[in-house]
Amino acid sequence: MQRLTSKLKGNKLAQIILLVLYVLVTSLSLYLAQASVTAFLLLLVSLLLLYYTELPDRLKWVIAGVVLVGVIPFVASTGPSYQSYMEVATVVGIYVAMALGLNIVVGLAGLLDLGFVAFFAIGAYTYGIFATAQAANFMPFGVFPLSGDSFWIFILIGCFVAALFGVLLGIPVLRVKGDYLAIVTLGFGEIIRIVFNNLDKPVNITNGAMGLASVKPPEIFGFQFVYPNQFYFIVLAILLFVILAVRRFEFSKIGRSWKAVRENEIAAQSMGIHLVRTKLLAFAIGASFSGMMGVVFAAKQTFVDPTSFTLLESITILVMVILGGMGSVPGVILGAAVITILNLQVLTEVTNYLNQLSLNGVISFPEALSPAKMQRFIFGAILIIFAIYRPQGLIPAKNPVFDEESLKEGSENHRKKQIKVESDKGFQA
Amino acid sequence: MSILTVSNIKKQFGGLVAVNSVDMTVEKGSITAVIGPNGAGKTTFFNLITGVYQPDEGNVQLGSSSLVGLKPHEISRLGIARTFQNIRLFSNITVLENVMVGLHKQLKAGIVGTLFQTKKVREEELRAQEEAYHWLEYVGLAQHLNEEAQNLSYGAQRRLEIARALASKPRLLLLDEPAAGMNPRETRELTEFIHRMRDDLNVTIVLIEHDMKLVMEISEHIIVLDHGEKIAEGKPAEIRNNVKVIEAYLGKSAVTPA
Amino acid sequence: MLADILNTLPQVLVDGLALGAIYAVIALGYTMVYGILELINFAHGEIFMTGAFIGVAMLILMTGMGWLAAMPAILALILVLVVTSILTGFMGVGIERMAYRPLRNSPKLITLISAIGVSFLLQDLVRFITEYKRGNYILTGPSMFNSQFTIKFSSVSSSFSDAFFKTSTLILIICVVVMMVALDFFVNKTKWGMAMRAVAQDRDTASLMSINVNKVISLTFFIGSALGGATGVLFAVQYGTIDPYIGFILGLKAFTAAVLGGIGNIRGAMAGGIMLGLLEMFAAANLQLLTNGVLGAEYKDVFAFAILIIVLIFKPEGLFGKAVTEKV
Ligand SMILES: Nc1ncnc2c1ncn2[C@@H]1O[C@H](COP(=O)(O)OP(=O)(O)O)[C@@H](O)[C@H]1O
Ligand SMILES: [Mg+2]
Repeated sequence: MQRLTSKLKGNKLAQIILLVLYVLVTSLSLYLAQASVTAFLLLLVSLLLLYYTELPDRLKWVIAGVVLVGVIPFVASTGPSYQSYMEVATVVGIYVAMALGLNIVVGLAGLLDLGFVAFFAIGAYTYGIFATAQAANFMPFGVFPLSGDSFWIFILIGCFVAALFGVLLGIPVLRVKGDYLAIVTLGFGEIIRIVFNNLDKPVNITNGAMGLASVKPPEIFGFQFVYPNQFYFIVLAILLFVILAVRRFEFSKIGRSWKAVRENEIAAQSMGIHLVRTKLLAFAIGASFSGMMGVVFAAKQTFVDPTSFTLLESITILVMVILGGMGSVPGVILGAAVITILNLQVLTEVTNYLNQLSLNGVISFPEALSPAKMQRFIFGAILIIFAIYRPQGLIPAKNPVFDEESLKEGSENHRKKQIKVESDKGFQA
Repeated sequence: MSILTVSNIKKQFGGLVAVNSVDMTVEKGSITAVIGPNGAGKTTFFNLITGVYQPDEGNVQLGSSSLVGLKPHEISRLGIARTFQNIRLFSNITVLENVMVGLHKQLKAGIVGTLFQTKKVREEELRAQEEAYHWLEYVGLAQHLNEEAQNLSYGAQRRLEIARALASKPRLLLLDEPAAGMNPRETRELTEFIHRMRDDLNVTIVLIEHDMKLVMEISEHIIVLDHGEKIAEGKPAEIRNNVKVIEAYLGKSAVTPA
Repeated sequence: MLADILNTLPQVLVDGLALGAIYAVIALGYTMVYGILELINFAHGEIFMTGAFIGVAMLILMTGMGWLAAMPAILALILVLVVTSILTGFMGVGIERMAYRPLRNSPKLITLISAIGVSFLLQDLVRFITEYKRGNYILTGPSMFNSQFTIKFSSVSSSFSDAFFKTSTLILIICVVVMMVALDFFVNKTKWGMAMRAVAQDRDTASLMSINVNKVISLTFFIGSALGGATGVLFAVQYGTIDPYIGFILGLKAFTAAVLGGIGNIRGAMAGGIMLGLLEMFAAANLQLLTNGVLGAEYKDVFAFAILIIVLIFKPEGLFGKAVTEKV
């Protein structure tokens, strides 16, 4: 085994051949055995393998694109489980975007936000209210529901409204000393949920606990998006944008100031970093990703009510970030995918299997222990175990590597241009 | 011409008066030392100048602008940079990025520019990397650029703090015990380096230090704090022979022969 | 409007005092741990909840064996309180050992995450044990101490109406007072209490003074958790029905009480708890009235969190604490 991996290391051609073979085999097995969850999951694993190859980044993106846009939808498409696979893939995409948003807040800026799902709720309600007749209750003008054409604009609106709320919540909250932040955001998450639950009076804005039903599906040129396989592409497009944005922020002046604040607030401030503004920006950008996906979620479910936005959801997203690796984009993507699939597929499958066994009298299996109900236990255990044994997560965050040679040249110019230096020999130990 | 004027500044923590009615004037381009026994209030004094603490009374003036009531980041923008007695680096990011944070306030990239990676933003980022590298060369840490700051040796971490401070192009640089934990050779090199820094970069330096050899060699002006009070001030030669100073350091018995 | 508020005031006071007493004891647990470790022990609410379950389980067991009928109810309650607090006390010590101690030198964020993990783990652990044994995770204890009393406020002034309370309320308040007085004595007057205060003040110096810091931390967890567990039992007796999720929000509010009284300040936590209980009951009774029907009693939790946020922003040292400047 070791010999094999060492041989593979450095041999890009072999890597690419193996990867293609792997994708082919898993695709084929999914294509032939349609109901096989295992084959579907294995196919998704190809993306992880792709991450670990040593191919150039551009090629990796192209291959990932081909697998996500072409291979997965196609090979899953022929059987009866098609929509359920696409549903899983869509939900994974939604959670990945949210986890990447929370990763900015927790992973990059080091702010523990336990009420993150609030922003998802805000996005969902923003679209839900206007894409149903609900808005007619309080809007003096306009005809509601708005048509599904408005969905595309609402992605942007959801993004901005969530960011705005991120700032509004952040202004008071971020003045609070570090470790209180966790408890305050937790409180805010609950407040938002309670407010949505009760904002059916005095003016009926959210329809309270009844929720909003029959949210208009997205529509473009008369084509309606109703099935998971259609939403899949919307989510994929947004996700692409989110990943791009996160990576650009991470390695910019903005990302550096987040990390500086995370590492040492006092030093960051004394280097000219505006503490509150920097944290607000993290809150706002993190929230905006959630807001966008909230809009998509409302349109996909066609139903919005407060029960989708509980504390458990916020913790679930936190678990994704911790499991994958705080501050690590590939890690968080992995974490979100693993947890979502665990939630949607593995736990229910295992539960069904165990129920089957106890029905057949093979074992006696108490309903109380059914894995589908054990989320809190599993998430709690993951949090503790990772905090103690692997705080950097499954795929730890990596620092950028700068090319010394090119910097040396640049520095040369820099010196000639700007700095009056008489002796360039530094103070050396 | 004076660059920094501290007048009658006071800070109290509960019942403890950490800094009591201290005055100080720092000449532009000079090297000034603040000395005094442990707990004398030296670090608190720096914290008052840099806005980490707000003074209870008194005024701090940089050039013609008062610093009282300003936040640390605002004061940094006016041209004061500092290092910390208990090193405060950004431990989990690279050495180069640490220095780049020092450049923060000179960079203009905004959200939109960053999102679309405009040519201007990319150029600026590249220039920033080069400039940061330059400062690493200046303090002799260039070969460590890609290491995590926490993995540097103690002495190197102190130098990195200086590089980070220099990157912010300060008019006034405050060093809090820069030689702490260094061996005699390192201290000698540091002494030279501080001199050179002042000459090369035209920066005014105020430093807190316990190493008397370094202090006497380097500084043009010294102020002595004890229990929050300024007990002496003057040229190194004057301080060396000041009775009160010797008393503060060695106790009364050192000056009153038994 | 004022007349309506006055009218319900006596009942608000009684209910608020009962709720406040519960917040106060739980707040003690938060404040003691925070004072020593600067850690928000998210699991503390779950310790309270576990205490409630252990207590009810014991009561049910004793009823089943006919013991409850055979001895005076108050004796049974005291027995249950003692056993529960010992069990939850050790539980608290165990949690600190396993989930917090290994992280003592890690960033605060990581320890907090571990604490949240413990909190969720415990919720589910209690959930499935209860559900496994009883088929349902919502538990109702045997009814005890529920004879009603009336305090004739109406005889004081006709603008008040009478207030009602049960024997259990009285027992609750008496027990809480006893616990608080005992703790106050322990912390201020005994050798171990002094060690606790020393460690809270400055852990390094305390350890130089040959105080066994780990032992003191364990002791703090033991006491905080024992008190929390006992309060759980009292809560179950007072309110009847419990589920595994009662600890979380209640814990959050107790933490609010601790902050209100100045975190790390034991007497402050007691005062903060009573205050929050009264405020919350007042809000539940009168929000609708005060806001002309815009906000109803559903907003009472929002009200409590709003207090937390306002205090943290404007007076983070709490109502009874002194402002401290973080040392740089
Ligand atoms: N934030 C603070 N809170 C309370 N006391 C402080 C704080 N900062 C400093 N002190 C106290 O002020 C005094 C002066 O400290 P400091 O300025 O650090 O002394 P020095 O740097 O001269 O050794 C010390 O007694 C110290 O304990
Ligand atoms: Mg000092």
